[in-house]
Amino acid sequence: MAIDVFTDEWCAAWEEKLKESKDFPVYNKGWEGDVGCIIQPDPEKGLNDEKYLYLDLYDGTVNGIRMVDKEKAESAKFVMIGPYVRWKQVAKTELDAIKAMMQGKLKLKGNLPYMVKYLKGTQEVIRCLTLVDSKFPDD
Amino acid sequence: MSGTFNKFFAIDLSTGSINEKRMDPEYFKIYVGGSALAARLFLEEGGTEAAPMAPESPLFIMAGPLVGTTFPGSSRFVMCARSPLTGIWGESASGGTFGADMKKSGLDGVAVTGKAGRPVYIFIDDGTVSIENADDFWGKDTYETIDALKKKHSEDRSARVLAIGPAGENRVKFAAVSNDKAHYFGRCGMGAVMGSKNLKAVIVRSTGKVPIADEEAYKAGRKSALETIKGSMVAESMHELGTNIGMDIGMMTGDVPIKNWSKGGELELGEVLGGPALVEKMLKKRGFCYACPIGCKPIVTVDTAEYKVEEGPGPEYETCATFGTMLMNNNLYAVAHVNELCNRFGLDTISCGTTIAFVMEAYEKGLLSRDNLDGLDLSWGNMSAVAELVKKIAHRDGFGDRAAEGSRALAESIGEAARDFVVTVKGLELPMHDPRGFHGMGLAYMNSNRGACHLQHTVQPVEQGMVAWDAAGFEEDYPATESRGKAKMVAIAENLGQMANAVCLCHFVYWAMGPEHLLDGFNSVTGFEFDMNAFLEAGRRAWVLKRALNNLMGVNEVDDKLPKRVLTALTEGMAEGSVPDEALMKKEYYEICGLNEKGFPTSELLGSLNLEFLKEKLY
Repeated sequence: MAIDVFTDEWCAAWEEKLKESKDFPVYNKGWEGDVGCIIQPDPEKGLNDEKYLYLDLYDGTVNGIRMVDKEKAESAKFVMIGPYVRWKQVAKTELDAIKAMMQGKLKLKGNLPYMVKYLKGTQEVIRCLTLVDSKFPDD
Repeated sequence: MSGTFNKFFAIDLSTGSINEKRMDPEYFKIYVGGSALAARLFLEEGGTEAAPMAPESPLFIMAGPLVGTTFPGSSRFVMCARSPLTGIWGESASGGTFGADMKKSGLDGVAVTGKAGRPVYIFIDDGTVSIENADDFWGKDTYETIDALKKKHSEDRSARVLAIGPAGENRVKFAAVSNDKAHYFGRCGMGAVMGSKNLKAVIVRSTGKVPIADEEAYKAGRKSALETIKGSMVAESMHELGTNIGMDIGMMTGDVPIKNWSKGGELELGEVLGGPALVEKMLKKRGFCYACPIGCKPIVTVDTAEYKVEEGPGPEYETCATFGTMLMNNNLYAVAHVNELCNRFGLDTISCGTTIAFVMEAYEKGLLSRDNLDGLDLSWGNMSAVAELVKKIAHRDGFGDRAAEGSRALAESIGEAARDFVVTVKGLELPMHDPRGFHGMGLAYMNSNRGACHLQHTVQPVEQGMVAWDAAGFEEDYPATESRGKAKMVAIAENLGQMANAVCLCHFVYWAMGPEHLLDGFNSVTGFEFDMNAFLEAGRRAWVLKRALNNLMGVNEVDDKLPKRVLTALTEGMAEGSVPDEALMKKEYYEICGLNEKGFPTSELLGSLNLEFLKEKLY
C-alpha cells in the first residue's frame, strides 16, 4: 500500500530500503556528511507548506531519515533545494537527480568536488527512494 | 559597423606581401564571423583546390563579433584551413587572450598563404603587420618559443603569442598550435599547416576597443548573462573540477571510452583519473580565459619520483581519457606528464592519445611487433613507452614517422585487419564521448564537417541533460540510448553550435548561460535584430556552407558513417548492449536537413539559405 510522502512512515520506508541495499555501504564508504532536502510548496498540486527532510548518513551506514524543521535541514553539510514537482519527478524516476542539478531544477549547496566523488552513492540513495511505494499529494 | 572592424590582412609568405582587405559588409550579417566567415573566404581564396600543405592553401585566423568585448565567454577565436590529417575542412578554436587582443588591434583576422623561404613569425602591432625572422626560434618547443617572443615583444604592452613546436615544424598531421602556453588549437593539424609555411609564430599587441552598437542593451544583457552563469551548476562544476568532471559523470553514463573503445565499466579508473582526483593530487590554481566568469583551466604541478611537471596547464577531460582510460593507464601523474610533452611539442592530445591506443591494440593483436616499434613495449598502461612514442611522433623519428600520419593512415599501412579497431570519422579521431552511450552524439560525429567532433554542435549538453533549452526547440529530455528521433535534436544542436563557432563563444559558458543570452549579446554588439529563428538559420547556413566545401573536396554520402568499433556493442558498463542505429539516424537526418542521396545540399536548400553561388559549383 502506498505511503504518503513527507511523513515519518515514508521516511522509515526509505531508510529501510537503504539498509537493505548491498551497494549503499560500498558506494558510500568514507562518506561524511548529513544531507538536508528542502521541498518547495506547490499549493496547486496539494503541497501547501515547505517540507524539510534530513538524511543522517555516515561512512556507508544510514543512521536515520526523518522529517525535520527548516533550521535542521539548512544546517546539513549538503542541502538540496527544489520545487515539489521536481522532487516528485526524481522519486518516480522521471528525472535523473544529477541532470536536475545540472539544469538548475534542483540546487545543491555544499562541497561539490566531495559530492562528485560519491556520485554512485548518491544515485544509490535515490534508487532506494524510487523503491518506496510513494503516494504524492496530487496522485 | 559594430562588433567588427571589417578589416583583415592577406599575408603571402612566399612574396612577403601584406595587403589590407575589406569584405562585403553584408558578409557579417550572412556569415557572422569566426569559422563561418572563414569558410566563405576559404572558398574565395581557392582553398578547396589546394592540397592541405601546399603553399597556396590558405590559413585563416579569425575572430567573431563578440570577441574583444567583455561579454562572458567571448575569448574564443578560430584557425581554419584544409586539414592535413583529414584532407577536408579543418577548423580549430581556442580561448585565452590572443583573440581579444587581435580584435582590439583593429583586425577581424588574417589569411596566410605561401611559404616563407626561411622560418618567420608574423607580428601584429595595433593593426600594423610585419613578417619577422624566426631562425632563432625554429627547433624550440612551444614553451621556449613563447617565453622568448614574449620577452622580446612585451617591453611596453603584453604580447600574446601563438606558436608551433617541433611537431608542427615536422608537419605531424595532428600538430597543434600553442596559445600563450595555456591554450591550444588542438584539432585538425593547424600546427602542421603553419609548419608547412615555415611560420613559427604569430604575435599580437593591442590597445584598442571593439565597437558596440547598443551599449545600454549590451550592459543589461551582460549583467543578466552573468547572473544566470552564477547560478549554474554547469559553471560551478567546471570551476571546481574543470572539464575533468566529465570523467566522473561520464563513467556513470557510459560516455567514457576505455581501452581503445573496447570496454565498458572500469569505474575504478574514473575514480583515480577524475575531477576530484586531479584537484587533490596536482591542482595549483585555476586559470581563466579573457572575459570568463567560470575559470575551468587546471593549472597543475607534479613533483613525484617518476614524473615532474612544471607549473602549467594540466590535462583536460579529453586528455585524461585519451592518455588514461583509453590506454588502461591509472596513473594521473603520468597523464599530466604526457600532457606537458604534447603541449611542449605541439601535439593534439586527442589524436595523439587515440593513435597510441590504436598502436597498443595492434601490438596486442600481433599486427605490430616490438621491432616495428623501435623496441618499445607498447603494452596497455606502459606509460614510459607512451612518453617515448610521443617524442618519436613529434620528431618523426623511426616508428613515430608512421604514427605522425594519424591513426587512419597508420591502419591503412597495416592492412585489412587493423580497420576494425581504428576509430575515426572522415579521418579525425573521435573525441572522448562514446556514441554507444549517447546515440545522438554518434549522428553528430557522422555529420560533423571537420570529422568526428563534439564542439561543432551542442549535442553533448543537450543529450546528456546538462541543459534544457526549449526556446531553441529542444524537447525536455532525450533518452540516451535511443536512435529514433535524434536527427531533429542534432540538427538544432548543430545550428546552435555553428553559431557559437561563428560568434566565437566558449561552449562551456554557452552551456551555462544558454542561447537566449548569447542572442541578446550578439544583437546588442552587432546592432542586428536576429530573432531565434534567424539565429538558428544562420547556424544552418554555416553548416551547409562547410558541407558544400567538403563536397567540393570529395566528401559524399558514404563518408557519413561511424567506425565499426563503436557499432559493436559493449558487454559491460552503462552502455552495455547499446549500438546506435546508424542507418535510421542518417535517413532521418538527411530528410530533415535537405541533403540528397549523394550527401549534397539540395538546390532548394542552397537557395533558401542565400547560398546560391554554390549551385554552379556543386551541380
